[in-house]
Amino acid sequence: MDTVNNVKSSRRRISTTVAGLTGLLFLAGCATNAPQDTWQAKGPNAQKISDLQWIVFPIAGVVGVLVLALAGYIMFKYRDKGQPIPTQGHGKPTAEIILTIVPALILTVVGVFTFRAIFELAKTEDTEMIINVTGQQWWWEYDYPVQTELGINTPIISSGQLVMPVGTKVLLRETSRDVIHSYWIPALNGKKDAVPGRIHLLRLEADKPGIFAGQCTEFCGLSHANMRMEAVALSKEDFAKWVASQQKAYTSPADGTLAKEGETVFLNQCVRCHQVNGLKKADGTPALAAPDENVYSGAAPNLSHLMSRNTFAGAMFDLLRKSCRADVWDATSEEFGAKYLAGVSESCLNQTDLRAWLRNAPAMKPMYADPTKLTKTGGKYRGMPNLGLTENDIDKLVAYLLTLK
Amino acid sequence: MFTPSSKYFVGLTGIALVSAILYMFLINPSDLGAIALFGVAASSALVAGFTLFTRDGDAFTDEEAVAAATYAPGGSIWPIVFALGAALVLTGLATVPVVFILGIGVLFGAGLEWTIQNWSQRASADTAFNSFVRERAIGALEYPGLAAVGLAIIAYLFSRIVLAVSKEAGPIIFIVVAAAILVVGILISQKPALRGRVTVLISTAAVIALVVVGVIAALSGERHELAVSSEEDHYSAEHRECEVAASEHYDHLANNQVSLRSAVTATIFVEDGKLRAQAIGIKKDIDTITIPRSLGTTVIFRNLDETEHRLVVNLGSHTVAETGVKEKVGTCTQLTGKKQEQALTLTIPKPATSEEPYFFEVPGIEGEIKLVVP
Repeated sequence: MDTVNNVKSSRRRISTTVAGLTGLLFLAGCATNAPQDTWQAKGPNAQKISDLQWIVFPIAGVVGVLVLALAGYIMFKYRDKGQPIPTQGHGKPTAEIILTIVPALILTVVGVFTFRAIFELAKTEDTEMIINVTGQQWWWEYDYPVQTELGINTPIISSGQLVMPVGTKVLLRETSRDVIHSYWIPALNGKKDAVPGRIHLLRLEADKPGIFAGQCTEFCGLSHANMRMEAVALSKEDFAKWVASQQKAYTSPADGTLAKEGETVFLNQCVRCHQVNGLKKADGTPALAAPDENVYSGAAPNLSHLMSRNTFAGAMFDLLRKSCRADVWDATSEEFGAKYLAGVSESCLNQTDLRAWLRNAPAMKPMYADPTKLTKTGGKYRGMPNLGLTENDIDKLVAYLLTLK
Repeated sequence: MFTPSSKYFVGLTGIALVSAILYMFLINPSDLGAIALFGVAASSALVAGFTLFTRDGDAFTDEEAVAAATYAPGGSIWPIVFALGAALVLTGLATVPVVFILGIGVLFGAGLEWTIQNWSQRASADTAFNSFVRERAIGALEYPGLAAVGLAIIAYLFSRIVLAVSKEAGPIIFIVVAAAILVVGILISQKPALRGRVTVLISTAAVIALVVVGVIAALSGERHELAVSSEEDHYSAEHRECEVAASEHYDHLANNQVSLRSAVTATIFVEDGKLRAQAIGIKKDIDTITIPRSLGTTVIFRNLDETEHRLVVNLGSHTVAETGVKEKVGTCTQLTGKKQEQALTLTIPKPATSEEPYFFEVPGIEGEIKLVVP
């Protein structure tokens, strides 16, 4: 008797646990502080996908529940109880016709809405701005070609954060330098693969100023999970200010400062891969980075105006300390532009992560950066190697990087 | 238990497995070679299984196969051919790779033939039966293999002849030879009396003629203009002739058709004597094309003018280390005909300097399109 009770009691416990976990799973769907929630559209393109989900998911849900319930009912009712095998018949025209027509009708309804959404999302003829987006292991490069009507008179190049004006139909021209990646900012649109040798188009548009998080969604190697991105939407006035700041000429730090010494360290170590537009060597000639000689993808993030961005290392780490970051992320639409454009100040700089990155980057983010294991890439790194910088060099570099606004 | 065929394939499976394991430990555990050897082991194990299951296709009974069970070896040419292969391999190692590859082929072929012959001679004491068994095992490989080698030799020798004669004579020779083969084929099929000796005579004469003429042509080399083009490196991207006038070599047989459409970053047009450009997503004409650094990017050149033009991209200059001479860097399309187009794929690792900006131009046409590598 005790054994029977024990079995019943353990069954009850299991049922309660399963029900509890299922309930928690459902409740998780109600979270509002979810930056990559596909149900929280912040622009017309994502809204079209969200609207389509509201049509397709209930239909698919009802069909799924009905099919599963029916299958469960049949399995339970006609389970083997030792009864004789029933007479086997063949064909039931009425049932077959119904079972063909009903799914066909359902699929037709779903198909009409789906195709309409696909064609609407593929529209590009009313584009107002273009940005070239290039993926590589494991970060995204953004370059803004000359678009004089937007104030972009010389190309702008950036990484980690894509900056765009609010209420503007922005067309991304995506490609990749190494393997297939996929660009996805759920709040602004669906996914689009970035394929080497091809240019794929994806349109983004944001309703209000703010930051929208994204994630590479095509497995692309060791640090795929750390290949993140953020889209920053600014009001048109603030975007014009951002464009102006990005086109500002380079200013070398004043002689005798720690930052000036950092510039020398940068020229000796970092400029092999990282470009800072306008930076000159000691002999006055332009310091041109040669990432093609050291990096498998042939590119490394351009660090001009680095401190105008909020992230680094493929948007894996914040350049802002937690409180400063929250201040920007939680800002109202009206305040957001000013807070974002303020960039990274010395007091807000996330020195811990930046210093750790400069000290030993591969320890912070998994990368193929071990010099003894680069035979397959002809000695070229995938990611940033450990440069063996001294603490003194790191101090100088941090001081220098802070000047890149 | 084991049938004659299964013994062979079981042995092959064992050798392949041992080789694969040794390869993994001694050479590279994750190399394609290990995968290939495991593939051989798996496929031969499968065939061994089939032969065991079907008892060698029941072509003969075990009793017949072991009728005398005595060894009846005959003469074999394969050890000599195998030795020749080894000699070719050694010679190839010291001379040219093609001899080495030929030696490997001879070694493999002779080894296979030798193995199969040796195995078949152990099947029974009946030489005819052994010959039948050998035929069953290797016949399906021998005939297609020999045919492929024969065809390769014919194609190679014929190509030498066509490359040696003038470009006008080449097609004529091709047509005449093809017509002759067709006529002889029809004659032989229509006149059974011609079969036999006459067929052998014609075939032998044709093969001898082909070999003799082919060897002479190969020795005399390619026709003058091909030899010059190759010698002067007219086909490489670094040595393109980008002048206004047509280049004798570089512009030879320009394709002028591009099927590529989806991966084009911009299209550059010449229309009514003017240069203009368009890019995906931009409604109006552009005067600057941006290309990300170190990324293969394709630009299409479309000539809508009445005369031929080529697109030239200027990528600054570099100083030759040995001579100190400054040389222009750039590339171009071939001359593009009226209402035709060509693609130009560029991979540019570094941005331009302010002294030497990058730009596209069409010689003979005013204006330029700026090229920016950020």
